[in-house]
Amino acid sequence: MKGKELLAQLHEAASSPKKQLEKYLAQGKKVVAVAPVYTPNEIIHSMGLVPMGVWGADVEINEAKKYFPAFICSIMQTALELGIKGEYDGVSAIVIPSLCDSLKCLGQNWKYAVKNIPFIPMTYPQNRKPDYGKKFTKAGYARVISDLTIATGAQFSEFALAESIKVYNEHNAVMREFAEIAADADITAAARNDVFKSAWFMLPEEHTAIVKKLNEALKAGPKAKGKLRVLVTGILADSPSLLKIFDENGVKVVFDDVAHESRQYRTDVPDMENPVDAMAQKFADMGNCTLLYDPDKNRVDYIVEQAKAHKADGVIVLMTKFCDPEEFDYVPIKRACAAAGLKHLNIEVDRQMVNYQQAATMVQAFKEMF
Amino acid sequence: MAEEVKKSRPAPDPNSAKFKLGQIAAKAYSDAMEAKKRGEKIGWCASNFPVEIPATLGLYVCYPENQAAGIAARGGGERMCNVSEGDGYSNDICAYARISLAYAKLKEAPEQDMPMPDFMLCCNNICNCMIKWYENIAKELNIPMIMIDIPFNPDYEVSDAETEYIKAQFWDAIHQLEEITGKKWTDEQFKKVMEYSGRASRAWIEATSQAKYVPSPFNGFDLLNHMAVMVTARGTAQAGDAMETLLKEYIDNHEKGVSTFRAEEKYRIMFEGIACWPWLRVTSTGLKSRGINMVTTIYADAFGFIYDDFDGMCRAYANVPNCMNLEHSRDKRVKLCRENHVEGLLVHTNRSCKLWSGFMPEMSRQIGEACGIPVTSFDGDQADPRNFSEAQYDTRVQGLMEIMEANKGGNE
Repeated sequence: MKGKELLAQLHEAASSPKKQLEKYLAQGKKVVAVAPVYTPNEIIHSMGLVPMGVWGADVEINEAKKYFPAFICSIMQTALELGIKGEYDGVSAIVIPSLCDSLKCLGQNWKYAVKNIPFIPMTYPQNRKPDYGKKFTKAGYARVISDLTIATGAQFSEFALAESIKVYNEHNAVMREFAEIAADADITAAARNDVFKSAWFMLPEEHTAIVKKLNEALKAGPKAKGKLRVLVTGILADSPSLLKIFDENGVKVVFDDVAHESRQYRTDVPDMENPVDAMAQKFADMGNCTLLYDPDKNRVDYIVEQAKAHKADGVIVLMTKFCDPEEFDYVPIKRACAAAGLKHLNIEVDRQMVNYQQAATMVQAFKEMF
Repeated sequence: MAEEVKKSRPAPDPNSAKFKLGQIAAKAYSDAMEAKKRGEKIGWCASNFPVEIPATLGLYVCYPENQAAGIAARGGGERMCNVSEGDGYSNDICAYARISLAYAKLKEAPEQDMPMPDFMLCCNNICNCMIKWYENIAKELNIPMIMIDIPFNPDYEVSDAETEYIKAQFWDAIHQLEEITGKKWTDEQFKKVMEYSGRASRAWIEATSQAKYVPSPFNGFDLLNHMAVMVTARGTAQAGDAMETLLKEYIDNHEKGVSTFRAEEKYRIMFEGIACWPWLRVTSTGLKSRGINMVTTIYADAFGFIYDDFDGMCRAYANVPNCMNLEHSRDKRVKLCRENHVEGLLVHTNRSCKLWSGFMPEMSRQIGEACGIPVTSFDGDQADPRNFSEAQYDTRVQGLMEIMEANKGGNE
């Protein structure tokens, strides 16, 4: 299959999650929704369930306003809106971590707003590296497993988890390889996003199979030329209108530090005797993320290092409106970029955005700076 | 020009609770200043960080949230927020954090100075925003950050796993602080601090519960000021003494039929949320002028840190507002409403606090239903004066009052 056809397949999955949900349900599978930013998907998968991402959508907010004040990010607002409106009907449960204040509120509101889909909390420790932190991570996993069994009847086994970990580690590797190949391949920002977005709506083994072929096709295909190379950072970068602006202005995403994209695939589950211990170790090993305690602000250095490693001309910060963790990180990122001689652009994004004219002007002006 | 006539205020009674509490709050800053001058290492501390730890170690700490509230109440909130926004911080970020980040840069504020820190003591049991705020200051000032993670509890009770996790972090924090400051933890001193904290907590709970009387012997806005001592100094003998004085005054007030609420108490409400410090007078007057007394807030319950041992202390710090699930948070408020004969709930939808406001619409609906009382909200901010509209506040309070009046049968 040619690269174009593979991308079309992923575009189809990325743009029609409902169809994917119905497909899995028709196959007799049970689906578990997973909220941003990290959830133990390997565990869910190992219990024979299909984890599907819930990152909201570019829809109008009506019903969720009864639960959230206006200053909660639109990812939470629209996820709840879709839940209330029945878009997730058929899903057996939703796992919501409490990694930011708005996520804590999403879980609490979910219980009353979407009563037909049980809320399963995943409580991660911020002090995740010491042994006591890992132990607490495992207590969080035990809670998720128990709640999943209650919600779906599915059983957990360490043997099955070990197998799922292999599936996920392979997917991670393939996605990391894709990110590297896409840095130079002739692929649009929109198509690049389709590859990441579709992963949230497909079983990892299915997604791996397609992306593997895509990687081969991209490697053999033409390279991008004459583009402005940028590293994109933020929570989400899936707005078709915004990605179109990138593509129309010759802005090429050569790497990302986006929570919805590469942040998911950086860290593998290590090879350890006990797979649950290994899962807790994976969480302990994770970093360079605004939602994970980072006293040395390693994320900031990581962005600069990756921008340089990928020969980026500049950094584009896609700031999800009302995401205070990201807003706190912005100032150190801005300063580090300036110190490293990297130009940067900060575009505020929102799932409620209708008019992208201002963003287009900003991107055009940014391009002219080079 | 007419000669200015200044009303001379009577000298404060040094034996009054107000004086004692004011002294403790002021002394916390001056003591830290002096310690810094002596060359001692001082910390900036999150408001719900276990104060027992620095108190037992004999460390001087300052509270940026308390400072930010003070700066905002004295009119400096917007100026300080502008400094942070000028540096690139979004105006969506908590205004306490914006003020604090500005102070970390300017190192002075005429409204309330405090010494610069040598270490940061963070605890996220009130919000995860604290983590990012303290991370940035620690990095900017190149000082160590000690982080006690008390995760939001999705369950009603604190689990053994959580208690164990918190306990391990407490000891980790103690050992880190011993290393940083050279001070030593002793169990004897901890016992003393635990007793002081228990004494202050019991008196505080008892004092605030005097609102069970109708009319209440105090104006609930008093609590917003007095609680500063419970936040910052409850591990001291002085705090216990001042809180017991407060309790005695409230009992005396009730017996004499007087109150610090200087108006006829026609209606009794619970106020939900942090005060609008820049608009304290306006928000207070808007209630008082209508005979509405704010008789209780969750703070009445929040600072009752009563426990018997180290494990109990760990659990107590997981049972603070903003760390509890909706049902537990709701039940605590329903209890306060019932015990204090509350007739209405006024909710501050606080632009600075996503966690406090993020599930408040649903929770306040449930409180209203459980207690059979009207619920009204207004938009405001704990420290940024730009996020409050006096007209909206007035309209909402008027509406609340009219429903409370109708419920009394007054509009029939």
